[in-house]
Amino acid sequence: MVQINHERRELSIKVVYYGPALSGKTTNLAALHDRFSSEVRGRLLCVDTKDDRTLFFDLLPIHFESGDFRVKIKLYTVPGQVMHASTRRLVLQGADAVAFIADAQRRATQANNEAWRNMIEDMRANGIDSADTPIVIQFNKMDLPDVRTEAEIRAAEERGNEPVFTSIAIRGEGVVETLHGLLQLTFRHMQRKYGLANILRTDEQGFLDNVFRNVDLRGTSMRRIGPRFERREGVR
Amino acid sequence: MRAGDLLDVRVPLGELLDLRSFREVCNSFADLYRIGVKVIDGSGAVLVDVTSGSNEFCSYLYSNLEGARRCSAVIQEVKYRQLDGPTVVAIPCFSGLRYLAIPLVYEGDVVGRAVFGPFVPQELADLPQAIKELPGLDLANGRRLMAQIRRAQDSTIARVLEHFAGICSVLIFSAYQVYLTSKMHIESVRESYREVVAKAEKLEESLTRLKELDQLKSNFLATVSHELRTPLTSIIGYAEMLIEGLAGPLQEEQLEYLQTIMEKGERLLHLITSILDTSRMESGRLRIEAEPVDVEEALSSAVSSILPQAKKKGLSVAFDCAPTVREAVLDPQRLQQILVNLLSNAVKFTPAGGSITLRARDATTVPARAQGRFDGPESYFVIEVSDTGIGIPAESIDRIFDSFYQVDGSATREFGGVGLGLALVKSYVEAHGGEVTCQSEVGKGTTFRVLLPRTYINPVRGEALLRKYAS
Repeated sequence: MVQINHERRELSIKVVYYGPALSGKTTNLAALHDRFSSEVRGRLLCVDTKDDRTLFFDLLPIHFESGDFRVKIKLYTVPGQVMHASTRRLVLQGADAVAFIADAQRRATQANNEAWRNMIEDMRANGIDSADTPIVIQFNKMDLPDVRTEAEIRAAEERGNEPVFTSIAIRGEGVVETLHGLLQLTFRHMQRKYGLANILRTDEQGFLDNVFRNVDLRGTSMRRIGPRFERREGVR
Repeated sequence: MRAGDLLDVRVPLGELLDLRSFREVCNSFADLYRIGVKVIDGSGAVLVDVTSGSNEFCSYLYSNLEGARRCSAVIQEVKYRQLDGPTVVAIPCFSGLRYLAIPLVYEGDVVGRAVFGPFVPQELADLPQAIKELPGLDLANGRRLMAQIRRAQDSTIARVLEHFAGICSVLIFSAYQVYLTSKMHIESVRESYREVVAKAEKLEESLTRLKELDQLKSNFLATVSHELRTPLTSIIGYAEMLIEGLAGPLQEEQLEYLQTIMEKGERLLHLITSILDTSRMESGRLRIEAEPVDVEEALSSAVSSILPQAKKKGLSVAFDCAPTVREAVLDPQRLQQILVNLLSNAVKFTPAGGSITLRARDATTVPARAQGRFDGPESYFVIEVSDTGIGIPAESIDRIFDSFYQVDGSATREFGGVGLGLALVKSYVEAHGGEVTCQSEVGKGTTFRVLLPRTYINPVRGEALLRKYAS
């Protein structure tokens, strides 16, 4: 649930990066951390084991002013390993938007499917209507052999209700685009539910400008998300 | 609590930092740079207040009524003045001294402030007019005390302060990392615990349900056995009367048919009795009626009851009872059933020409669940039934005592029976507080070893005895 504190003039949005183990969720956050200038982001909080597996969650806070409001966007990752099911569910509590990081390699298909089903189930367990929550999918690790082709990925997008992005998070490619796409949907969703534009005294473009003004955008190409993805009713 | 709130929580600086260690660090900073250090949390609470050289000067001013009033106003400024940007702000004191303050930030939120001072600004030549106006103040003394305070340029102090704030920011971040991690850990454990409890409840439910079903099954078996036995007893009885000629003389062929009817009837009766016993055993209603037993006689009687079948198959049967185990106090009928069942089994599974041996001797071990806490082998004796039969595959040994289990469960199996014999043996032995084990080698033979108490003690009586001795 988005937290709007009118008294403190603060608005807090929770974005969760979900996905199978080793799909690159933490790498996404690390890449964003590198791209955002230090004035608008906090430190990247990682709690991991010595072999770099996320233990509880990672957290990258982004903050900026809009109108007379302070906006905080908190990006979290869940731990991907199967055994951390309860932690995953806890981190997902109160999520306003979700980026699903899939592994683009063909052999990861089953793991992707299972994680997706778990995510829908975890959202349901947390009282979050997955059909009414902004979700984007990112196919990561596009530099590896035997990954899905662009055509297959476009077909996957056609089939579903979520915009699909491709990335090589380890090189920082595609991560900003993914967040940009997700925040478009998030703004529209919150505009519909809470009239966000009035609260922040800005439109979607202004909101995105505020977020991405302090980001190193070299080599990125943003995509405008069509209205087809705004309403997600009828999702399985 | 929702984890959304959990991960969003703000902890007062004083709780977040280990204040004792933090104060030590601040003290060493104050010593090193000869300047006072204050750390104040977001609500204005002073967490650290180290002075350096300014004590006497400030106390002297504070001893003056007007000086104290103005001094308090400056302290209010130091604690509460709005700090907007992440930059250093100068807060002047009416005495001409100066404080520098910088906000401490976590995730873009101001969570407190660090303040260095007071120090004497480099450019301050003399006590300012504001002090000279204070009534009754000895200016010479004031100048002497001010000279004890460090004189410095703003830029110098500001650089140290920024550095200090950087260190604080790392400390705050690390403290939050630990705090959030431990919170998350606890919540995860709780969540897992809730899951386990929910699953355990479900299992408990299905266990209760299964127990009910099992009870139903036992009741059903008992009823059916009883209903089957009543007419069967009549059939056998009437056949017997016919054989005895109570209804007139019979031809040889008629007699032969009737004997077959009686023989098969008795087999059926035996089977039904076994089923009834099993169901009684499962419903816990089997009673052990212990009395003195001559073990050698029991062995002899059991052997004689299977001898005809054994002879028919050409098997040799031998038995031997050690003199030390001739007397026991057990349920004689159950003992007989144990022996007969084991012997019949041996006969059934031993090919022609084989041998069967029945032995009773002193025990060398104690059952895993002995009757008495302090029992030793002398309280028990062993009966062994060995054969030179087909043996039992290792993977089946654990299951042979299950009701209705057959090693060869195929429809075309060679040997008869419904698989109750060994289940009954186990039940009877365990009801006595004993133990039955089996060793077997396929193709070589099988040995069943029954460990029985020399004197059966009813568990209820056993407890009564214990109570008696305890009192």
